[in-house]
Amino acid sequence: MATQGRRDFLKSLSAIGISTIGVAGITPSITKASPENILSKDRMGVLVDTTVCIGCRKCEWACKNAHDMPSGSIDDYENESVFDNKRRPDYSALTVVNKYQNDKTGSPINVKVQCMHCDQPACVSACIVGAFSKKENGSVVWDESKCIGCRYCMVACPFQIPSFDYHKALEPEIRKCDFCFDRTAEGKLPACIEICPVEAITYGRREDLVQVAQEKIKNYPERYNNHILGETEVGGTSWMYMAGVDFKNLDFPTLGDKSAPGVSESIQHGIFSYFVPPVALYALLGGVMWISKNRDKKEEN
Amino acid sequence: MKKILFYLSIILFSTALYSQQKHSDIKVDCSFCHSCENPTKNEPCIKDCPRHTMITVHHSPSEGPLEIKIDILKKEKDLYSPVIFSHRAHSEMSQMGGGCSMCHHYNPPGRVVACKECHDVNRQRADLRKPDLNGAYHRQCIDCHKLWSDDKGCTYCHAKNSDSGKNKITKTVPKKDRIHPEVIAPNKVVYNAKSGKNKFVTFYHNDHTNLFSLECKDCHKDESCVKCHAKEKIIKKQNKTLNQKHQLCSSCHDTAKNCNNCHMEKVTEGFNHKIKTGFDISKFHAALKCRDCHKKPKSFTGLKGTCSNCHQEFKAGTFDHRKAKLVLDEIHAEIDCSDCHTNANYQKPTCENCHDDKSFPANLPGKKIK
Ligand code: SF4
Ligand code: SF4
Repeated sequence: MATQGRRDFLKSLSAIGISTIGVAGITPSITKASPENILSKDRMGVLVDTTVCIGCRKCEWACKNAHDMPSGSIDDYENESVFDNKRRPDYSALTVVNKYQNDKTGSPINVKVQCMHCDQPACVSACIVGAFSKKENGSVVWDESKCIGCRYCMVACPFQIPSFDYHKALEPEIRKCDFCFDRTAEGKLPACIEICPVEAITYGRREDLVQVAQEKIKNYPERYNNHILGETEVGGTSWMYMAGVDFKNLDFPTLGDKSAPGVSESIQHGIFSYFVPPVALYALLGGVMWISKNRDKKEEN
Repeated sequence: MKKILFYLSIILFSTALYSQQKHSDIKVDCSFCHSCENPTKNEPCIKDCPRHTMITVHHSPSEGPLEIKIDILKKEKDLYSPVIFSHRAHSEMSQMGGGCSMCHHYNPPGRVVACKECHDVNRQRADLRKPDLNGAYHRQCIDCHKLWSDDKGCTYCHAKNSDSGKNKITKTVPKKDRIHPEVIAPNKVVYNAKSGKNKFVTFYHNDHTNLFSLECKDCHKDESCVKCHAKEKIIKKQNKTLNQKHQLCSSCHDTAKNCNNCHMEKVTEGFNHKIKTGFDISKFHAALKCRDCHKKPKSFTGLKGTCSNCHQEFKAGTFDHRKAKLVLDEIHAEIDCSDCHTNANYQKPTCENCHDDKSFPANLPGKKIK
């Protein structure tokens, strides 16, 4: 039954795709709604200090509560068995904490993962209908009313963050951390920042945070690797990380300083300029989805 | 006028706020700690804390509070209730580690600086270099607790507000003099260096604490609770370099040379000033600390055994012989020191220069006192 549903869904997607090329072929400039993409000097950011995080997962709980997602009892978050597998943010959890062995000190490293709120967001550039935007406060948010469910953002994101609620296939819903846009608009802190008992995640002006991080590295060279992840990667990100080990060991992709949109935009423009019907891409995406879904099922069995 | 105002403000400031704290005794420039010219209690403008390199004076655990209810961050809808922190017990434990400065980073003379004076109660704040108060509290506790306790969940310290009745922890501290049991120190420890002829280093722990007046934290400063508790958690014994092995001793002893001062063929006796140097300190100098006489850092040699070496005031007519527990009679009080103490031997006088038939201690030049 589920398979049937997905096929229907793919069909409808292709229909959207075809209608899109129709317009795209004639006036490519108007198809890509120019997205809101502000890079304010005072944009906010977060410095994640993985040497401080204790892996209590209170941020996961607070995040779900703030986004009206089922969160369960806070006591259950003390159960450490979730750390047996490495998890990724998805439609049911916009942020997750993973635990890594630390050969250097023996005490484990906990890493909170969520959208990095890039300064040059690939998702914003990739989205053909302008559903993504970079706001003045630094957050990268997604607008449900504009999204057509093409999932370009998922392909474009260098950190593989946007996730898709497969359980709601007919009302496409991309989900990712929104930097608690509504809360911060009211002057509150993002939910995870507010709850973190050790302030492993420091919220402040991005510019100040870079300075704080540089000072920490200078003052505690034994504690930190001389690398602030996100300071320059893909053109800089609002969320930045510090660690005592190489980020490669913490499942972070190795990325250049060049903003990722360059890559995704050229894919997209390539597609349009050679008039490759996006349907081909959807077919490909659908295929990938189908395979991975099947694999998931097998694993479940 | 300006000058007068300036001095007035200094006098006012220092008498009103800090006179009782003997700030003036601190031998550092004010600007070492304060960033503004006129720090006040409310605006101390303390510089970003260089933590353990700051001034630290000794405070005993009994000076601090027995327990503290940490409710400064209490809000209306908290999940957990405030922690009742057993300050006394923790300060006793810290004596084996870094002392007060394990948590307070540094303690100026007088009142110890409370966490909230440097760590902002608000998470949304201007100075992001140090954690806010909530973060600072939790980091401080968790850093140690996670090392030795398996139970590092919130309810180890906090009661849950939703819990009622018997589930609710009402941990309070027993009111007794000492909460953490006294740590029993060994008298001596023999280290076997395993190589060379002079393998054995006999370390007299009691000499170091009693005779040389070291405090626990002088040597045990980097130790945490795991040193005694939850030993199985210490994963691997580190392979130390030669320098690291000698590090503790070398803060007082020159370990680069004279290995044989400590490394011996067999287990040795404890420190005895008379045997080691020929100068008996047990009679008049027992109450002194080593550094009272041996002032040169890192060195304990080179002092002459003569009184005038330290006591320049000991001269005929000025020396109060009662210090030697003997009041000289009138005749003897008049003569020169060296008439009796020939060759600068102040331990035992010579009578024979004047008296053929008298000798010390059978005959005394005065009266013994206690
Ligand atoms: S991490 Fe991915 S989803 Fe988040 S802003 Fe960057 S490109 Fe967009
Ligand atoms: S709440 Fe803070 S300490 Fe706990 S897992 Fe999240 S980031 Fe780490």
